[in-house]
Amino acid sequence: MGVVQAIMSVFADDGDKLRCINCADGRTRITFLARSPLYYVCVSSWGEPESVTRFHLEYLHLQILSVVTALQLQRIFEKRTNFDLRRLLEGAYTYLASLHPLDLAMTTASLGALRIEPSLRNKVADALVPTAKIKDMLYVVLVAGTRVITLARPRKHSIHPGDLHVLLNTVTSSSVRDAPASWLPICLPKFNPNGFLHAYVASVRPAAELTLVLVSGGGGDGFERVRGWCETVMKKLEDDGTLDAVERAAKASEYSVADLGIQGLRHFVYKNRAHVQVTTPRWEEPYESLGARRRLITMYQRIHDAIHAKSGQEGQLKLQYIRTEHESVMGWITQPFELYITLSPRLPKSAVVGAANAVARWAKREEARLFLRDAPVF
Amino acid sequence: MADAAASADKSIQVKLVLLGEAAVGKSSVVLRFVSNEFQANKEPTIGAAFLTQKCRLEDRVLRYEIWDTAGQERFHSLAPMYYRNAQAAVVVYDVTKAASLDKAKSWVKELQRQANPHIVIALAGNKVDLVNNAAASSSSTTEETSEDEPDDATATPAELAQAASGDGLRAVARDEAQAYATEAGLLFFETSAKTGEGIVELFTEIAKKIPIEHILASTRGGGANRPGGAASGSNAQGNVNLDANNQTPKNACNC
Repeated sequence: MGVVQAIMSVFADDGDKLRCINCADGRTRITFLARSPLYYVCVSSWGEPESVTRFHLEYLHLQILSVVTALQLQRIFEKRTNFDLRRLLEGAYTYLASLHPLDLAMTTASLGALRIEPSLRNKVADALVPTAKIKDMLYVVLVAGTRVITLARPRKHSIHPGDLHVLLNTVTSSSVRDAPASWLPICLPKFNPNGFLHAYVASVRPAAELTLVLVSGGGGDGFERVRGWCETVMKKLEDDGTLDAVERAAKASEYSVADLGIQGLRHFVYKNRAHVQVTTPRWEEPYESLGARRRLITMYQRIHDAIHAKSGQEGQLKLQYIRTEHESVMGWITQPFELYITLSPRLPKSAVVGAANAVARWAKREEARLFLRDAPVF
Repeated sequence: MADAAASADKSIQVKLVLLGEAAVGKSSVVLRFVSNEFQANKEPTIGAAFLTQKCRLEDRVLRYEIWDTAGQERFHSLAPMYYRNAQAAVVVYDVTKAASLDKAKSWVKELQRQANPHIVIALAGNKVDLVNNAAASSSSTTEETSEDEPDDATATPAELAQAASGDGLRAVARDEAQAYATEAGLLFFETSAKTGEGIVELFTEIAKKIPIEHILASTRGGGANRPGGAASGSNAQGNVNLDANNQTPKNACNC
């Protein structure tokens, strides 16, 4: 710890920044991120680009800010430079640790939407727009697991994907998920790094991990009002059968890559850039094992890094194709979408390009079901 | 559901808050009461969890609205919001951890100073299953040792560390806690969320002590025309013949 601090401050003294150390073994990299007053360090040998590690450290920072605001941090360390932050993070380790480096929505800085019939999505969305009585409501989010079904927000506040990931990571931690309802203070750092909001989290249908999250900008004592409104809405959705329909839809929302009927296609990540949302099929062979999955995601991350020129590359790319002994992976970015596809390594490049076109056509056709397009504003 | 909704108007709502140091088992106590379940290695509560459970006492039905609060220091400042309107509080400590009783005492002090003056407070010494092997008689003291570490499935990380350091046995004598509770006017129970010991009794005794007339009077909006409601409620405790001792606790509180 002391060594890290010493090394980082040597660079800081020179007005420089230490970004990373590449170890002599050629695999291990130590990445540093300074977010005053905190230093973050990651040691990784997964082979992901430095920009990705840095991005994950940024997320870790956001998650820490969700527990201890930037203002609190600043004040604490002004008073006591040797303060042991672990005291304030007590009880939060489980969900700090659950921030998942392999989450594809996070990797592509977008929101993971649940595939569902648009009419059903709209019906739920309409019900979730707060009435004028409910003051201070900021976001109303219905999720199945971590996939968003709908999200209502005030006209003047959009939700940053970073905040949404922090929020979902917190509310899917097991102590919140297991309780019928929770009320918790949370700082959404992209919204306001210095203040706490309150989230009411209701486990609506535990079997399908359907969770309703209401983020209120009011004080902590707004609970009864928020809960009252939530129960009214839920009763309505319960009585007209909407919740049953959503639960069924959520359970059936995952799809297989085979459903697309594209020969040799094994997996893909499709990001709708206008809506900042991704869709991916479920993991299937040969990516059932964590090792294979991690290898593939690292490939996606490398291509993502190259396409966006995140690591100081000369220019951005439109397309990158990598073939290894395990698979062929291609990334392709256009105005409306960003696509990463994986095929068997035995297929020629032309087949990969053909598959990419086919996935893009499919996603266009299915757009209404795959993505959340008309999220209500209030 | 329809049944529950129908009886909802007849049931008397009682807001109850659980307070106490982190990792003493507050959520486990609630889980045992609400679902009759136990989960080893429960993750720490974030903020507060909200649960409800009905409790039947003779002809009356109480509907507990339970705030299960997080015990970490950083959530302390939120506590008043939860206990402000509470009619009952359960302050939990861990019988194997002396410091947790000190924390419980400071919660009791805070409640007595700042909460609703009629609040019914119960003190619960949890994890008594860990010390039951070691002569759980009321005279047990901290000097007692046992060669035999109790099975420790409830262990939280902090507690594991404690068990590893050979400290897993009773650290708070029952007499000591009982004496304190009596002096401070609290109900007192030793409980085990793991085995269920004492849990139903805890909530049933609270239910008996709740000044129901007072709650009814104030919710009817008729004003609290019985200022002595709380006192008479608690006095009545001795007189109410609920024969809870003959009844299995499960029946006393079925839901």
